[in-house]
Amino acid sequence: MKYYVTRLFRSFLTLMIVITIVFLLMRMMPIEGYFGSGFDKLDAGQIEAKLKNLGLLDPLPVQLKNFYISLLKGDLGQSITYRPKVDNTKILGDKLITSLRFGVASLTLSLIVGLSLGILMARHKGKFWDKFGTCYVVGANAVPAVIYYLLIQVFFTDIFKLPLLFDKSVPKSWILPILCLSLVTTAYYAMWIRRYMVDELNKDYVRLARAKGLKSKEIMIRHVMRNAFVPMAQYLPASILYTVAGSIYVESLFSIPGTGGLLVTVIQRQDNTLVQALVLLYSSIGIVGLMLGDILMSAFDPRIKLSHEGGSR
Amino acid sequence: MTNNEKVLSVDNLVIKFNLRGQELTAIRGASLELYKGESLAIVGESGSGKSVFTKSFMGLLDANGRIESGSIIYKDNDLAKYKTEDDWIKIRGKEIAMVFQDPMTSLNPLKTVGKQVQESIELHQNLQGEEAKKLAVEILNDVGISEPERRYKQYPHEFSGGMRQRVVIAIAVACNPNILICDEPTTALDVTIQAQILQLLKNLQKKYQLTIIYITHDLGVVANVADRIAVMYAGDIIELGLSEEVFFDPKHPYTWALLSSLPQLGIKGEELYSIKGTPPNLFKEIKGDAFAPRNPHALKIDFEKRPPYFEVTPTHKARTWLLDPRAPKVEPPLSIQKMREMEVKRGERLE
Repeated sequence: MKYYVTRLFRSFLTLMIVITIVFLLMRMMPIEGYFGSGFDKLDAGQIEAKLKNLGLLDPLPVQLKNFYISLLKGDLGQSITYRPKVDNTKILGDKLITSLRFGVASLTLSLIVGLSLGILMARHKGKFWDKFGTCYVVGANAVPAVIYYLLIQVFFTDIFKLPLLFDKSVPKSWILPILCLSLVTTAYYAMWIRRYMVDELNKDYVRLARAKGLKSKEIMIRHVMRNAFVPMAQYLPASILYTVAGSIYVESLFSIPGTGGLLVTVIQRQDNTLVQALVLLYSSIGIVGLMLGDILMSAFDPRIKLSHEGGSR
Repeated sequence: MTNNEKVLSVDNLVIKFNLRGQELTAIRGASLELYKGESLAIVGESGSGKSVFTKSFMGLLDANGRIESGSIIYKDNDLAKYKTEDDWIKIRGKEIAMVFQDPMTSLNPLKTVGKQVQESIELHQNLQGEEAKKLAVEILNDVGISEPERRYKQYPHEFSGGMRQRVVIAIAVACNPNILICDEPTTALDVTIQAQILQLLKNLQKKYQLTIIYITHDLGVVANVADRIAVMYAGDIIELGLSEEVFFDPKHPYTWALLSSLPQLGIKGEELYSIKGTPPNLFKEIKGDAFAPRNPHALKIDFEKRPPYFEVTPTHKARTWLLDPRAPKVEPPLSIQKMREMEVKRGERLE
């Protein structure tokens, strides 16, 4: 328990530091980012009036204080160029949820398929399933994703009569984007779980389990799988959360209104407040993801808690 | 201590391994009989085939190894003919259980020790749930773990090396086997713990009527626990006899050499005895006595024909031409005679 509390506190501290740094960095950006397209036509007086209005002429500590207060209220400011005068939370809200839905769906699929494939590969090491899986893993990684995204879009819409583009109201139109998003991650999960399981299978406790009369299937289920899953548990929450960043290829290919590529777009369009909101969001997700990963791992592996409490080792 | 009921009888066992396209003969026609309730120690240097020999009783050979010929008779079944996992499941744990060398890695780090002991019980003793747990706690107590109720819920990393080895032993005993194979049970432990573990095994042997095979290269362990000793060299048992017979009246030149290299027998100021040369290459076929090239007393025939077993007493036999009536008389080295005196003194002290 103590471990969790310490871990939580540290994550919060890191988050505060990151937020502050992001805020200070944004203050170093050229001020054009707060004006949109009409900047050239404004005179000095208008510029100053606008900056003053935004609170940007206050001394830094005051700015920081105001920033924290608005953060607490859940206010991330208004967009300037991307969708002028619209609250950033509102712009992001829908997009984030769309991307997250796709992300979670595709990750669930990759976990189920990838882990099963990897386990199958480890159980039949060197035989058909292992070779089949290896082909898939190598293929998925070696072929540039864009190529098979296109192939999938072209052929699957034809063969299975699936819609070409995403439409929120058509459930069928979810299938292809999810499939595309899952292909590579499935390969990764299969590869890692196979690797960790093969490592575990060579350990002494597996030999002991065999010697006491467990069947290989039981050894896999009762002993090996959980051990092999521990190193993967650490990265799982982060990868789920990171899906809110969306996929630039898949989302543009199926015209999904998600966050894919949004950060690049708003940087190009110099929408300072939106950039700030996105950077804040992504960095907090990173921190929270890692924290959840550590907590999940310690839930799986009893050794981790103790090493922090200075246990008997 | 020994009676005449055979529990396991191995005859002319040959085990081969495929290694990098070559064939290695790890066990070259070894034979052994195991009697109910005895402690047999198999001694020999690294690579002599001790572990492979006993692993073959449980079907635990690595995938590239196979039993080429010979038989392993247990309860009227020939284990050498067992092929599938389903066959071996009937033997593993239930009939023959094993204690491995390294307790630090032999336990699953993510399961409580109690559950790991309980798993054996549920597999082999027809008990489930609470009843199995009760027995698991009892067995943990039997192997000398204090506060077994509390320890039941702990994980392996909360145990010291010696304590973990007790848990490994508990797991083996919980299977309720007839035969317990202890593969270097004390090698990874420090000396004070070694003695405790050996004492524990002796006690368990009485309580659970176990027949124990010790595999070791530590002659100190052997002297402590074994009723009989089998000396292994290059995949064959070259001498077999009661503990006293092998220690005090060894017949095979390899046994002489092995005993002479005990540091306790060295003379102060003189270089410690070591056996010259290296063990034979098991990839090649061995002609004659495998020890002949390293044997200062080797006869001509040692290089040509494999010696049969010569019986010294009904319980003691050795594979060496020196025991042939026609062989020249060769006295064992002085250190062996010294050994005799040492052991006598030691015995008196223990009394």
